[in-house]
Amino acid sequence: MNDLINDLYQEIILDHGREPRNFGKCEPHNKSADGHNPLCGDNLKLTFLLNDQNIIEDIKFTGEGCAISLASASLMTEKLKGKKIEVAEEIFKDFTNLVSGSDEDLKVLNEEDSLYALKGVGRFPMRVKCATMAWHAFNQALKD
Amino acid sequence: MDDSKTFNLNVRKDFPILSKKILEKKDLIYFDTAASAQKPNTVINETNDFYKNHYSNVSRGVHTLSVESTFRYEDARKKVQKFLNARSENEIIFTKSATEGINLVAQTFYEKFMQKGDEVILSLIEHHSNLIPWFFLRDKYGVALKFANIQPSGEIDIDHFESLFTNKTKIVSLTHLSNVFGTELNEKAISICKDKNVPILLDGCQSAAHLKIDVQKLGCDFFVFSGHKTYGPAGIGVLYGTENLLSEMPPYQGGGGMIGDVSLEGASYAELPAKYEAGTPPLVEAHGLGIAIDYMNKIGLDNIIEHENEITKYAFNKLNEIDFIKIHGGDNKRNSIISFNIKNVHSHEVSSFLDVEGIAIRAGHHCCQPLMKHLGVNSTARLSFGVYNSLEEVDKLVIALHKCKEFFNK
Ligand SMILES: Cc1ncc(COP(=O)(O)O)c(C=O)c1O
Repeated sequence: MNDLINDLYQEIILDHGREPRNFGKCEPHNKSADGHNPLCGDNLKLTFLLNDQNIIEDIKFTGEGCAISLASASLMTEKLKGKKIEVAEEIFKDFTNLVSGSDEDLKVLNEEDSLYALKGVGRFPMRVKCATMAWHAFNQALKD
Repeated sequence: MDDSKTFNLNVRKDFPILSKKILEKKDLIYFDTAASAQKPNTVINETNDFYKNHYSNVSRGVHTLSVESTFRYEDARKKVQKFLNARSENEIIFTKSATEGINLVAQTFYEKFMQKGDEVILSLIEHHSNLIPWFFLRDKYGVALKFANIQPSGEIDIDHFESLFTNKTKIVSLTHLSNVFGTELNEKAISICKDKNVPILLDGCQSAAHLKIDVQKLGCDFFVFSGHKTYGPAGIGVLYGTENLLSEMPPYQGGGGMIGDVSLEGASYAELPAKYEAGTPPLVEAHGLGIAIDYMNKIGLDNIIEHENEITKYAFNKLNEIDFIKIHGGDNKRNSIISFNIKNVHSHEVSSFLDVEGIAIRAGHHCCQPLMKHLGVNSTARLSFGVYNSLEEVDKLVIALHKCKEFFNK
């Protein structure tokens, strides 16, 4: 099988794509945002609860999309749950760099991270938006 | 070797991009002609030659190069006129794309013939290009839009379509060939418009180059297509309109080239077709489109259509046999386009997987989100064929689709 495809679709991606974790609506929640990829129609709804210490207590999503977008959203929720907002923002920055093909100046992510599985997306520029849809929704929710 | 194979081998030599290797080793199999067609050598060389040897602005000067440029631009118009069998060159307006043609009609037809509360009939299978320009009329001027339903086959439900007409219906705009299903518009839709005396625009983006077009026989009032889908350059499109309507409608954009006489108090407008061609047009692209039409004529549109029909039918039957593939639409004839989904595999995955096998297909909503919603999917995979495709390529696709299904359901 082609290496590029194996890199893009690592086992963990296929697994999370098929069975996304934290799938549903977070209740109660105080932050939410919609993610949308106008190029293909994929979409998701992200909800999370930010407590008074600025920690993401719980985070969930629903939506429809390809394996990359679902896995990315699923892995994102796993990674962000329990994180302080400042840390989450750093992860967001690192992640967008990672999937755009540059993993040089990462501050908080490293190769041990499950999110690293999405690095293969960098070789498929048209798929970067799939991988970042949930993250942009997250970033949007913080701004709202 | 049989005829069809020889035909194909000869045609393939005309398209230099077909010798490209994808990811350095896979032969390119281009199944995305509906998005944009590849270009034959003649188009590539002739547009180059235009810049090298003949280029200047059109209709502006009297020097040699201006004459040569103008000649090529106007000659392209003649070729388009013949290609569509329009009555006169005055009915051929060069635009930048089909999209611009539809916007032009929506705006100027509204200005002349419509008012608040009037109605436009569209359908559920329209490309966003044939929706949004009309949405503008709804949002800005209070025009009402009505949408014809489709049958499970993907065809417009003619009875429903007919029931939408009222005495406020001012114009109808429908796709001539669906860019999702590949099915042709039922001619009854046009005759209903004739009976009711309501002008109809046909979005011919997918039919030009894949069906024989005769606007007079079709009886449409407007017909638009894009050069880049008919083996010509991007940046040039065509609007055909009857001389009657085009004469009555006001100009679309103002600028150089579309005027009769200008003073500071006002202006008179040029005759057709210049009236609708404000500013310097995409002249080299227009010439390129003319060359693309020459190319299709040389191969023979009948031969092209026969060849594409053979491939489409072959691919349809092959895919239809595969239990994990669902083809959208019914069993009716398709013209060079097939949309499908693989069970439990998102079309993005299919497209990325095929890409590394060298196979280019389109995945997404194909700019038809209302239709996707109706089909209950958020995207499909789409195959679309051009004159250069071969049966062998379809065989390779089928093998790749099996591999794809296996990979994602392991
Ligand atoms: C049916 C249909 N209409 C309109 C368009 C828009 O064409 P263009 O973008 O060249 O204006 C397309 C192309 O995707 C199409 O398939």
